[in-house]
Amino acid sequence: MPQTYAFGNLVLDFCVIGILILGIWLFRRPFLAKYGNLAAAFALLCAAILVISRNGIMHPNIVVFCLLAGAVPGVWVARKITMIQIPAMVAFQHGAGGIAAFFLSLAELMRGFEHLGAMNEISGLLGLAIGALTFSGSMVAAGKLSGRLGQTPTILPHHTRLVMANLGAMIVLVIAAFFAPAGAVLVFYLLIIVLSILFGIVFSIRIGGADMPVLISFLNATAGVAAAFCGMIIENQLLIACGATVAASGSILTHVMCKAMNRSLFHVFVPKKRPEKSGAGSGTEPDTPALSGLAPPAAEQAPKVEKPASNPFETAADLARNAETVIIVPGYGMAVAQAQFDVIELSSKLVSMGKKVVFAIHPVAGRMPGHMNVLLAEAGVDYDMLAEMDDINPAFSQTDLCFVIGACDVVNPAAMETDGSPISGMPILRSHEAKHVVCCNLDDKPGYSGVENSLYKNSNTVMLLGNAKETIRQVVENLSEEQPHEKGARSETGTGIQPQDRKQENFLDAAVVQLVSAQKIIIIPGYGMALAQAQFKVVELADLLASMGAQVAFAIHPVAGRMPGHMNVLLAEAEVDYDKLVEMDDINPAFSQTDVALIFGACDVVNPAAMETDGSPISGMPILRAHEAKTVVVCNFDANPGYSGVDNTLYADPKTIMLLGDAAATASDLIAGVKKAQ
Amino acid sequence: MTNLLLMAGVFVFSFVVGYFLISRIPTLLHTPLMSMTNAISAVTILGVLILFSVTSTRSEQIIGSVAFIMAAFNLVGGFAITDRMLRMFRKKQREGKK
Repeated sequence: MPQTYAFGNLVLDFCVIGILILGIWLFRRPFLAKYGNLAAAFALLCAAILVISRNGIMHPNIVVFCLLAGAVPGVWVARKITMIQIPAMVAFQHGAGGIAAFFLSLAELMRGFEHLGAMNEISGLLGLAIGALTFSGSMVAAGKLSGRLGQTPTILPHHTRLVMANLGAMIVLVIAAFFAPAGAVLVFYLLIIVLSILFGIVFSIRIGGADMPVLISFLNATAGVAAAFCGMIIENQLLIACGATVAASGSILTHVMCKAMNRSLFHVFVPKKRPEKSGAGSGTEPDTPALSGLAPPAAEQAPKVEKPASNPFETAADLARNAETVIIVPGYGMAVAQAQFDVIELSSKLVSMGKKVVFAIHPVAGRMPGHMNVLLAEAGVDYDMLAEMDDINPAFSQTDLCFVIGACDVVNPAAMETDGSPISGMPILRSHEAKHVVCCNLDDKPGYSGVENSLYKNSNTVMLLGNAKETIRQVVENLSEEQPHEKGARSETGTGIQPQDRKQENFLDAAVVQLVSAQKIIIIPGYGMALAQAQFKVVELADLLASMGAQVAFAIHPVAGRMPGHMNVLLAEAEVDYDKLVEMDDINPAFSQTDVALIFGACDVVNPAAMETDGSPISGMPILRAHEAKTVVVCNFDANPGYSGVDNTLYADPKTIMLLGDAAATASDLIAGVKKAQ
Repeated sequence: MTNLLLMAGVFVFSFVVGYFLISRIPTLLHTPLMSMTNAISAVTILGVLILFSVTSTRSEQIIGSVAFIMAAFNLVGGFAITDRMLRMFRKKQREGKK
């Protein structure tokens, strides 16, 4: 509704805009940012009071009800959410903003289509379209970020043409709606909404996980534009000003993200076909594995992992001897082999050796609800030792050893990592997060689901195939023996080659030596750190090293993670001083004077190939120059290329020490090593 | 027409001022920044308030209520989460760089 603004009102409006700008201005300093946020919130409160005092409220009951209905869940979610979920939450809120904008536009258009000015009507139609596409696009983004939707880009046949056709149809409809007779406009409005929602979906489903920072920033901008158009329909300066500011912010962030990834906006939104690395299984195309997270399927391609050639039973017994915490995962195979008594024998043996032993019970392990509980209770286990899936899952990453006994699908990491397989999204026991896994299964064939179990191929998994009763008996025997190494000849394959994890330990020792003697250390976190939830361990390590007199800084690449500044938030959550978080351009000159660059779950952003080669997807991308440090320690999940698909030449550098595996586990190992060396 | 000019002026002014201010925000704060601007984009709540300040039909009220709830969620939730995030940025000594 056009309103005549008196001069005084205009001044008041500008005061509110002033407070808002002050709020943004305060964001330039980290310690003032909190007040900036409060100032912006205060500005909007003032704006609301102004609007109410000028116009009054016709339906106070509706207003109060809606306010509570929106604000209460808003605050509740904001309090409850963890920092790793922030990107998904922000995307979801973009969606909420989008839906509000397009419903407001719709209401205004419906109310005033006869007497709206041409300008207002066009604004309304644009607000409708942009609001709706922001809504659906954000919902897709939120789904991808929270892991509810697949991380891999979904590419439909003729995707680009589809997007273009959709966009064209939207433009035609907006024009048609503008000239349509009054009676038919509502139909056009609805068509615009439907097409815009469709557009948002088609547009965002093809954007892969690692490109999310761009999408989320872009949606931030469109939400702002939608709000500004809403302001134009009702001719309200405040809406326009706020919308424009948000649009500016979103555009800047989009630009920064694109630049940092060396991609044009166009190429993010219209991705070029990547050369498939392997013909098989496009569902497992590395994407999340990219920045090296929890990606065991990739382990298949890592032939450097030599399976321990020594007697696996001794290896298993060795692992058990060295472990402090042990989780046992029983499955239907245990029931079939009637091995529960032997399993209990194993567990009591371990308990008597001072280990902490827990049984992890998957809800569908066995053939009836609570099947495993019954079997173990029968064998006389204390029910305190039986833990349910949700309670035990967080503990796996701090567990030294996990025995899997006759369980397959319920511990298959593919359920979390791949798309489109029969078990995708199935809740599993995260035994792959344990430092070592011993599998006592009959064979290494897929389980009921028919999906290959990628856990079997992990480098830290020891396979003891055969009847569970037999294999466990052997492990127990080995455990009872004093010095297992002396008995190397007792089995068919005692060739005496070091087990793989022993080699890892040598690397670990080398890394510890470097860290202890280093004066200047730069830590580079990447999305892999976020995936492994390793930030607390990483910060603990940083504090430990700092307490020993080393200078420690964190180097933050602008696109590390899934949204702008993602690493900063995670590290702030882990209580790092923000003056230790250094931007790329500021820290790059320092690398050449640095003793150790410690990389946690980052790949492309430290790949020297970006500077050295031409014509690769990352050529020219700005990187953190970790390769200039005297020593580089890489704590990544695997040595595969990151999202870009370009091999990381840093990994092959002789001064690089590779510590592969879960970043949180590696960090704990480093902490332990450094403490010991102290 | 003056209205149109005024609106265009406000848009351009805010965009430009916002652009300059925001380009100087350190990347350290980009996530809270996005979270806050996201909350600001829920300013559409003002439009809904105006909608409810005049007589409206039932269908407008329903549409308006949905818009109101979503905007309130976005607004309050957005500022709350930004606040929580910013409180985690520990302050010690002076500010960082930039």
